[in-house]
Amino acid sequence: MHHSINYMSLVADAVILIILVGFVLTAFRDVARLGTGVSRAWAVGRTTFIEAWHNRMWAIPIVWMVICLILGFAIVRGYTPGSEVRVYLTIFLRAQEIILLLYLGILACLSLPRERERKTLITTGAKPVTRLELLLGKIMGLAAAALAMLLVMMIFTWAFMKVVDHRIRGDAMAVYQLQKKNYNSLVRHVPPDFGLLYTARHGVLQAQNYITGTLHIAGLISYAHNPPIRYMKGGSTETVYFEFPSIPANLSYQPDFLFNFGLLPVGHPASLHITAIQRDNPMVTEEATVKLNASGEAAWTPKHRFRFFAYTDPKTGKISNPGPVVLKVTCPTFHVYLQIGDGTHVSNTSCLVTGVNAAMLHEHGLDYILPKPDPVITGFKSNGWQEITGPGKTGRTPPEVASWEFRHLNPLNIPTIKGDKFDVHLICGVSKETNEAIPTYAALVAYAQDDPTHPVKLLQLHINEKRVTDVQLPRRLLDGSPLIINLSSIVHGHWLKIRTNSVRIMQKPSSFIGNLFKTELVVFCEVILLITIGVVSGTALGWPVALLTTLCCYILGNLFHFVSELAKANGFELLNLVQQHRLQGVWYYQLGSFVSGVMVHVLEILVYLLPNFTRFAPLPFITASRNMPWLFLAQNILAAIISMVPAIAFGYIVMRRRELS
Amino acid sequence: MVASGLAIQTRQLTKIYPGFWKSQQVAALAELNLAVDRSQIFGLLGPNGSGKTTTIKLLLGLINPTAGDALVMGKPAGDQDTRRVIGYLPEESYLYRFLNARQTLDFYARLFNMNRAERRRAVDYYLDFVGLDPAVRSRRIGTYSKGQARRVALAQALLNNPDLIIMDEPTSGLDPVGMLEIKNMILRLKEAGKTVLLSSHQLADVEDVCDRLVILYRGRVEIQGTLNDLLEVKDTFQLEARGVTPEVQAQLMEVVQRNGLTDVRTGRPRVRLEDIFKNLVDSKRKVDRR
Repeated sequence: MHHSINYMSLVADAVILIILVGFVLTAFRDVARLGTGVSRAWAVGRTTFIEAWHNRMWAIPIVWMVICLILGFAIVRGYTPGSEVRVYLTIFLRAQEIILLLYLGILACLSLPRERERKTLITTGAKPVTRLELLLGKIMGLAAAALAMLLVMMIFTWAFMKVVDHRIRGDAMAVYQLQKKNYNSLVRHVPPDFGLLYTARHGVLQAQNYITGTLHIAGLISYAHNPPIRYMKGGSTETVYFEFPSIPANLSYQPDFLFNFGLLPVGHPASLHITAIQRDNPMVTEEATVKLNASGEAAWTPKHRFRFFAYTDPKTGKISNPGPVVLKVTCPTFHVYLQIGDGTHVSNTSCLVTGVNAAMLHEHGLDYILPKPDPVITGFKSNGWQEITGPGKTGRTPPEVASWEFRHLNPLNIPTIKGDKFDVHLICGVSKETNEAIPTYAALVAYAQDDPTHPVKLLQLHINEKRVTDVQLPRRLLDGSPLIINLSSIVHGHWLKIRTNSVRIMQKPSSFIGNLFKTELVVFCEVILLITIGVVSGTALGWPVALLTTLCCYILGNLFHFVSELAKANGFELLNLVQQHRLQGVWYYQLGSFVSGVMVHVLEILVYLLPNFTRFAPLPFITASRNMPWLFLAQNILAAIISMVPAIAFGYIVMRRRELS
Repeated sequence: MVASGLAIQTRQLTKIYPGFWKSQQVAALAELNLAVDRSQIFGLLGPNGSGKTTTIKLLLGLINPTAGDALVMGKPAGDQDTRRVIGYLPEESYLYRFLNARQTLDFYARLFNMNRAERRRAVDYYLDFVGLDPAVRSRRIGTYSKGQARRVALAQALLNNPDLIIMDEPTSGLDPVGMLEIKNMILRLKEAGKTVLLSSHQLADVEDVCDRLVILYRGRVEIQGTLNDLLEVKDTFQLEARGVTPEVQAQLMEVVQRNGLTDVRTGRPRVRLEDIFKNLVDSKRKVDRR
């Protein structure tokens, strides 16, 4: 695949490399002494910690608690129990992050400049302590302060959440008992909500571990056939992708793409929108719209076929091979469904290439090329949600089906329940077009891909809006072949809103405290990185400028993606002035455009040079009651270290040049 | 380059503080050549801005020389190993205001990689040595009087039992008794074989304790030598005795006149105000203790 080189990133990398080389050249003696120097650095850090304590560090967790309780009680009213915990956690952890970043960032910026102002650095600097140890000591001391505060905050968060969880469990059990009583006495027609019982038993604080599959089929599925037949909905965003390996063609023949879709309703006029793409060079494309005949067939020949077919130049004998080709096909016609064949045989493929090569005709008895089997169908909307419709009013139109594929499942990682089953959770949104009074039910069909003839069918699952629906499936489905789980709404007018992780194979849950601890560690990584930047800024600058510099670094670090995207445009295009064509020939427009372009590129180098703070995102896991993987934590720790090393190296070089008094 | 017997040696040591423009540059020290023997009390004198503190900071490696070099205890100035054997008392007591005396000394002891037992022993010993009132040792230094802070600063300078002690205005902020104690302490350090580099405006102090001295003016050495060489008036004789009656005094004056000596001064010797002050305070303190 063609990758464009990002020169600004290279410049930033080169600067970091120069800093590191400079550090290695100047600091090798001090680094060698770090063996005994760690205790000296910690001595400096300990004093920094005591200073932070005397700067009312102890008051910060108290202020945080007060803010959280006020905000929490003010905001949380009216939320459902599950959301209540999410709101509390978001407030508690976000407030923690902001307060710690603010307080410790300021302390870090003040640290060295204030020592310089009070001249205590003279007394300390006369002792056998290196500047590297001084720098590390300052960072260590403030890191210890951050850790202490985080610990207090974590314990408070845990205790508070336990109290909330206890109340929610009690409430859930009470409501469940009431529903059960009403159901038994026929006052209620719907069985009691299992989700309530689940909440009452397990609480809402579990850090759940689960496996998510790939959701790559969207459309109708008919189970009348084995394997099931898939359909793509016309007039929607659903798209089918046919991928062909390299297509060798003798260009004395005319190679064509032939399409053969089953069409519902039969004979309805429909058209296809086709985009051919060189897979390894996606900039090379060609688009066309073709009409399907009454049998759902069409043929298409690319105008620039050299772009997509491998051919031998008869004059030079040179072989030109553009690599694999992907056809992206959508159906812009409303009210039709295209049946997609699985592509395993010429008789059940919806797309093939014909008339490719006379030589192939003789060798293999074939004059066509099939795409990869099981073409991918996608239809995701922009916000990541996919809605699948229920069946038609009369029941003659089947419902749309979402299908998840779970590959490489290790049965040892999936706990057994009730003897021979494993747990699957469904979490879907529901939207009702009609039949608002009726509860939403879904059908779930699960089968091993290698054995589609023995599916497990659960045809009436009660779906609560964004609540867990617990399903137990037999362990025989985990026999090694990919597991397919299909889900569809069975109520007319009820849509299921699904995402990739709407179907989850549950693993053993982790403890909430462990998940909270990991979350706090990610916050710690972010804080320690800001501390490093603050301390390093203070090596050369007075505290007001150091403060401003650190703030700029943090803001730019959070705008990493924005700035790197911004820089893809240029000059006044950034300001959306490109449409003013009448200005484009004017010299001051060109000058302004050039200057703004240079500024943006400088900004781009800066964001590549500075730590990327956007990667520290601890909240999405814990607020979704999902266990944070150790890998994510390790990535954050590694990212913090990788960002800290050049910063410390830069600070050391500056400090070494700068006099202590 | 350096004889091993020298505690400090500088060669063409120069420090120019850069200004924004070249004309604003300040030459704080110009080509200083200095040799300080071991086990000697060496005075560094000069008016304000003469380069005393700059010299000390250069020897400690706190600032970088513009030209020249310096060796301290046989090693380059500013070297980490060199600083292990140096004690430094700055001109003001630059200490952490939020620490108490014990914590302060403990912190500096940690920088010398002392273990816990060594630290505890050293902290107690040197706080006693400098005579800091035990009642204030657990109070924050921010609440100390200038003299108390000075004593803690002195204790931190001696904490590592250094071979070379650099003192910048050691008696500043101290009462006369404290000054005298410091002077006695400096003499005791010399007896213990330590080298002391003393920078002071208190000429009487320097005169009382120094073996050799140098006087700087605008960054240059103006006078250098031993105290005797510099202070002795070669052509003058002084006699001091007890029990001199008016008759004996008249006889002595007669001998003086007979020999035609000029600029003759006679009178009764005086004790120093410092001695009277110290005796008074000592006696009062004894009464207070009772």
